[in-house]
Amino acid sequence: MNPKLINVLKRNAVGYLFLSPWLLGLIGLSALPILASLYFSFTRYDMLTAPDWIGLDNYREMLLNDQKWRNSLKVTLIYVLLGVPLQLVFALSIALMLNRGIRGLRIYRAIYYVPSLFGGSVAVALLWRQLFGGEGLVNLLLRQIGLPGHNWIASPDTALYTLIVLKIWQFGAPMVIFLAALKQVPTELYEASRIDGAGRWKQFWRITLPLITPIVFFNVVMQTIQAFQAFTPAYIVSRGTGGPLDSTLFYTLYLYQKGFTHFQMGYAASMAWVLLIVIAFVTAMLFLSARKWVYYQE
Amino acid sequence: MRTRLKAFAIILLSAVFVLGLAACGGGKSSSGGSSDGSGNAGGTTQTGNSGSGGPSGGGSQETVEIRFTWWGDTARNDLYNAIVDRFEEEYPHIKVKREFGGWADYWDRLATQSAGGNAPDVVSMHQFYVADYAARGALLDLQTVIDSGELDVSLFPEAALDSGRVNGTLVMIPKGITMPGWVYHTATLDKLGIAYPDINWTYDDLIAISRQVVEKSGGTMWGTPDMGGGQLQPNFRYFVRQNGEDLYTEDGKLGFSRDTLVKWWSMWKQMRDEKLIPDAATSAEYDGVPLEQNLFVTGKVALYQIPANQIYLYEQQFPEGEIHMVRMPSLPGGQNGEYLEGAYLSITAQSKHPKEAALFINFFVNSERSLELFKVEQGSPANTDMAEFVKPLLAAPQARAVDFIQTVIPYATSAAYAPAGATEVEAAFKDNATAIAFGQKTVEQAADDFLAAANRILGQ
Repeated sequence: MNPKLINVLKRNAVGYLFLSPWLLGLIGLSALPILASLYFSFTRYDMLTAPDWIGLDNYREMLLNDQKWRNSLKVTLIYVLLGVPLQLVFALSIALMLNRGIRGLRIYRAIYYVPSLFGGSVAVALLWRQLFGGEGLVNLLLRQIGLPGHNWIASPDTALYTLIVLKIWQFGAPMVIFLAALKQVPTELYEASRIDGAGRWKQFWRITLPLITPIVFFNVVMQTIQAFQAFTPAYIVSRGTGGPLDSTLFYTLYLYQKGFTHFQMGYAASMAWVLLIVIAFVTAMLFLSARKWVYYQE
Repeated sequence: MRTRLKAFAIILLSAVFVLGLAACGGGKSSSGGSSDGSGNAGGTTQTGNSGSGGPSGGGSQETVEIRFTWWGDTARNDLYNAIVDRFEEEYPHIKVKREFGGWADYWDRLATQSAGGNAPDVVSMHQFYVADYAARGALLDLQTVIDSGELDVSLFPEAALDSGRVNGTLVMIPKGITMPGWVYHTATLDKLGIAYPDINWTYDDLIAISRQVVEKSGGTMWGTPDMGGGQLQPNFRYFVRQNGEDLYTEDGKLGFSRDTLVKWWSMWKQMRDEKLIPDAATSAEYDGVPLEQNLFVTGKVALYQIPANQIYLYEQQFPEGEIHMVRMPSLPGGQNGEYLEGAYLSITAQSKHPKEAALFINFFVNSERSLELFKVEQGSPANTDMAEFVKPLLAAPQARAVDFIQTVIPYATSAAYAPAGATEVEAAFKDNATAIAFGQKTVEQAADDFLAAANRILGQ
């Protein structure tokens, strides 16, 4: 063997030894299961009997025939396209308000962050049912001011929007990040611009926003990926059905139903891979677009 | 200053990605474990493998742990915990871990556990799901533990055992036999001044009484919930059987005609249009709520369909009056819809302790110590001696349930089991019924869509 190579191996052996717990974890807990799921996606697999190789049939069925799959993709896209921008605008507005040197900032910051902590939880999703149900708080308020109530959660035309509102309400995490970014904007820029006669509005568009675009970008990417994978709110609010009329049948929820309710784990695995491709594509597009609008001050 | 922001963003990004990786790793690990585990179930490292010494013999025995799971509400959980405690007293060398949940969650979890190779040893089973498990070899052939003497079924009528056979293999033992029916609350109908329905009522009676309910309550109540969709059985199944068909054929194909389906959905559409049943949104809202919150208990409908063993649970919810049950509505000139139903116990094929699991089932269905508590919790005991034993222990609503079951059982005829894929057929049934309710499809469209979907699912 090449003595040089042996030397290199020797020198790095200790390093690999230290890395080994993580490496083993990566291979055993991530890489192998991921490969297994890729294999299952080409099989018919009911989890109780051995998988049965069927080539591309799962993918063909999904892309060509499965109306429900198409619908779940549509529902998820609406959720992402509406939920993420609205949530970020909301988070940024709150961050801007909190960034004006008010007293008790820490307390406010904590309070506004709380919903995010509960966000994915079962309790909040249940609360949502109470709020937007036929006899819920929202309808109670509407009736107080003489407007007709509406069964928000149980109507196919509004159910998804209640989930988007829930998404927006969980603005805490991006808000805290925005807040940190706002604190990084050099104050001398504001002072200089004020002397030049710029108002608050102009300061925001010309100074604040351009300088925090890296953070905006970060939040957009993270929230988009998260939103594609949203599961709990739809599962709890619709009691696992994705109803009414599949209007809240998120992609992940349909995947779950296929795998665990209908015993079609192979199909569910192929759905997961298609979702991965969709998310990768969207993220790549975001990174490409970033060149045009993200400003790194260099 | 200049690069601080960028550095901040980069650190943040990398931190999140690392965390994300960790999270992914965690999530995947469980699913990965499950795929590996299905073949040669890993997990519990107990050495008390069966075969070493008969469990009936005395002397020192290794402690064995088995797991038992059931569905139900909190009252049933208390009850079954008490039964399990008594079993552990009697068999000190067997520990029973208990797992329970509501009906819908129960089946989701059981599927997941079975896939992961860590299904409980003793599982509660139901006719509607048994084929999904039996067809995939997930359930133990109970004849093996009957032959080896752990499980005694000598006092079970042949019909009751038969209801636990799938393709000739005995895979489940009835905890209790029950029959579905429609209930009304006497005080509510009295207050409205409506005569009680006859036990042999018809669908026309159902509609007529619903009209009276709406009229006499001044529109504050509906006649019944929307039973046109939801689960395929018992309501729709009775209707197709009354029409001389069944949900499925013996060879696992769809067993009813488009015509029957159109008649069924048209009947419910007519009731919906007449506002005798709740609108689609209200139905969706109450879909799957717990007993305490459902339309009947909250006084929004006057008639409701439940299995007879739940009569006492419903009666508990009302301060006065009684819950009475009548047969499922009949079809004039049609056949009887009745078939034997119940709640069952199975042993999973993966169980490492099938003998101990069988001893547990034996205790559960054959011992006075158990039945003294069980009474008719999930139906009348199938063991004929035990059925006699519990009779004097029953409260009035439970005795009423047993009377009802005994009155109706003679009408029952055999029924084909649902084939694998039945849960998906049911989802298509529910989807299309909901689409009619929301006015998105006509009855004919929905019927065509359902048949196309069902045939595609079952054809596979």
